[in-house]
Amino acid sequence: MSRIRNTVSLMLASSGLALVCLFAGCGEGENGGEVTPATRRIILLTNGNSPYWDAFATGAKQAEEKLDVGKGGLQVVIDRGNFSPQTQIDKLRQYQGATDIVGVAICVSDPKNQALVNQLVSLSESGVKLITVDSDIDRENEKARTARFGYLGTDNFEAGQELGKAAKALRPDGAKFATFVGVKSASNAQERIGGFQDGAGENFVQLESMGDQGQADTAKKNVRDSLDRHDDLNTLVGIWSYNTPAIVDIVSDLGIREKTTVVGFDADPPSIAAMEKGNLDAMLVQDPYQMGFEGVRLLTALINDNQADIKEIFPNYGKPDGDIHETGLKVVVPSEESPIKADLFSEGTTFLTLEQFKEWLAEYNLTGS
Amino acid sequence: MSSSPSAPTPKLASGKSWRSRLPVEVGLLFAIAVVVLFTGIVDDSYRLKTAYNAKEILLQTSLLGIFALGAAIVIISGGIDLSSGSVIAFSGMICSAIMLSLSPLDESGNPDTNNLGAGIIALAILGTIFVGLIIGTFHTWLITVIGLPPFVATLASLVGLRSLGRVLIQDITGNIGTVGPSTKIYIFDPLFNDLGRVWWIPLLVFIVLSILLWLLMSKTLVGRHLYAMGGNEEAARLSGIHTDRQKWLAYCLGSVTASIAGILYCSYVGEANPESAGMGYELNAIAAAVIGGCSLTGGIGTITGTMLGALFLRVVIDSVAKTVKGSPDEFEGMIVGLLVVLAVAFNELRTGALRQKKFFPGKLGIVSLFILSGLIGIMGGVLSTSHPLWWGLGSGFAALLLLGLKALLERSASR
Repeated sequence: MSRIRNTVSLMLASSGLALVCLFAGCGEGENGGEVTPATRRIILLTNGNSPYWDAFATGAKQAEEKLDVGKGGLQVVIDRGNFSPQTQIDKLRQYQGATDIVGVAICVSDPKNQALVNQLVSLSESGVKLITVDSDIDRENEKARTARFGYLGTDNFEAGQELGKAAKALRPDGAKFATFVGVKSASNAQERIGGFQDGAGENFVQLESMGDQGQADTAKKNVRDSLDRHDDLNTLVGIWSYNTPAIVDIVSDLGIREKTTVVGFDADPPSIAAMEKGNLDAMLVQDPYQMGFEGVRLLTALINDNQADIKEIFPNYGKPDGDIHETGLKVVVPSEESPIKADLFSEGTTFLTLEQFKEWLAEYNLTGS
Repeated sequence: MSSSPSAPTPKLASGKSWRSRLPVEVGLLFAIAVVVLFTGIVDDSYRLKTAYNAKEILLQTSLLGIFALGAAIVIISGGIDLSSGSVIAFSGMICSAIMLSLSPLDESGNPDTNNLGAGIIALAILGTIFVGLIIGTFHTWLITVIGLPPFVATLASLVGLRSLGRVLIQDITGNIGTVGPSTKIYIFDPLFNDLGRVWWIPLLVFIVLSILLWLLMSKTLVGRHLYAMGGNEEAARLSGIHTDRQKWLAYCLGSVTASIAGILYCSYVGEANPESAGMGYELNAIAAAVIGGCSLTGGIGTITGTMLGALFLRVVIDSVAKTVKGSPDEFEGMIVGLLVVLAVAFNELRTGALRQKKFFPGKLGIVSLFILSGLIGIMGGVLSTSHPLWWGLGSGFAALLLLGLKALLERSASR
């Protein structure tokens, strides 16, 4: 009896798989069919989940509203990764299997990852409009570069350089510094750290770089451990948005603010509060709001073939690097008394005091950037 | 609940309803069909992109199913293996490291992984499977000789192996070529990259492994001994079964299948990164096995059930992605969690007179009634795109009425 039951079980399991196999075999060629679902989706896929992307989502949703995207049957959806290329690959494959997804903006988690690049190319070839935001593909890879229409965001190396210049102004005689980040192997992490070293100069000596895999509690532990290990560590650099508040908390706990320089990327609400209290020396702020807003505008224009909007965003399209749209950088300092001055930075970088920056946030109804 | 040839569960004793006699696979097939049908009605992707979606589900099912099979055997034998995710990460690193160290050097003196050749890839795969065998053997030693509970022994690997991988990968990459240490290894060889990306290769591996393990568990004495050990280890030992050997086999199968999955995932993702690869996958494997009818108390479960458990999980995940149009990632865990609870609860209850079961007895029942209604209300609210407050209140209130009626009927029946 049990033998019969086992055989039946095997047959049932096999038939389950066979059923799906049958679908696989019989459906060839159907992909070319015209599909016009009532609502078509534009997906904005982040590399991970952090408050940084909240401003991005706000920008995207405001664009959806202000540009009346829904009128053309389009819907904007924010989808968040978990800092792993595999999640992005999985999601891209999912998008390709859907019939209502017509545009994708992606923050590429690892531009060197060939599987991810292949998936981007495959998605683009399936007819989905594709752009990159915040983190681009490897621009040397021609296949990947042409798969995505263009890039909206900042140059992470240049952003690192600007923050490095700010740190150098705070410690003109040099410093011993450590960097704190979620995933050390992430390209934006490496570019920012490299840029920071370049901007700060050779008198800045990196003692270590710590990764926390996106865990906020580990981020704090890393700062404490680094300070324990290195008595001469005097400059702490937050590379991802949540790293700066983690640094501020530990420096405050240990009561070493007077002898420690704290600088970091992005302007999470806790970072803004820390700067108000005098616990943070400089923030290098990108403009995720603009990336979200322009991302939706560009994808809508590509889907609807609105050449005027496309031309406005990429006036030099077709020329070298004409497929890159810089969304700008901001250096934020506590006040005019800061030793960091506007003339240190590149022309495209906006220099703001905290008060000015808060006014800018209020203008766009943002709590952070 | 389906059973092994040698260890029929007492729940299948004669006199039970026809429903309890049906193998768990029938219920799962029905559930899979319902989910596929529902998805097909709500979204047209299955009709218009049938081949693409079917291949995608099969690929993802196979990648998950391969190591779920190993997890199922460990569970059937009365143990638990929490290390699968870390073994996947570690194995991917080992496989890539072997290929990297054997790859030819380019003009700059750095490894060129663009054209490795089948020999190097085969060697890397064999080496990785051997490492899986070592991990399984080490687990068995910790459990049988040192006396650690399986939960603790494999928990140590869950934490330790990933960390070891992170350290090793930097040492290995730092000593090969001129570039310096790296936290990732990229393999560009097209043959290797096809292993995890061409849909039928993982499927073939999954089917072959399933057949082999099905034969082992259903047709051999060793399989019967594993069931017997899972049912009652002491009784099995006293009846002359070498339980330590059986454990070695079970834990080695657990880690070897995870190693095979690690190789395929490494190919699928296109990189070896012990920092993030396979994070949390051990729970996916356990979930697939449990949905497939494996009992965490041991002695019960089938390979076929585990195969369908993995398929059910992937079909549900795909369905959420297809049917929830806004932020599916936020809803995925909630819906999958709910369906897992329902599937396992159904498995547990169908053998024990579902209709006679009291769900809301005593004060705990009344509190649970409100908790469930609240949860349904929250889900109703968050899933609605217009008027979330009214949808939430409406669905919560409707659930409270229905569940309250059920509670009343239960109480009146017990008088």
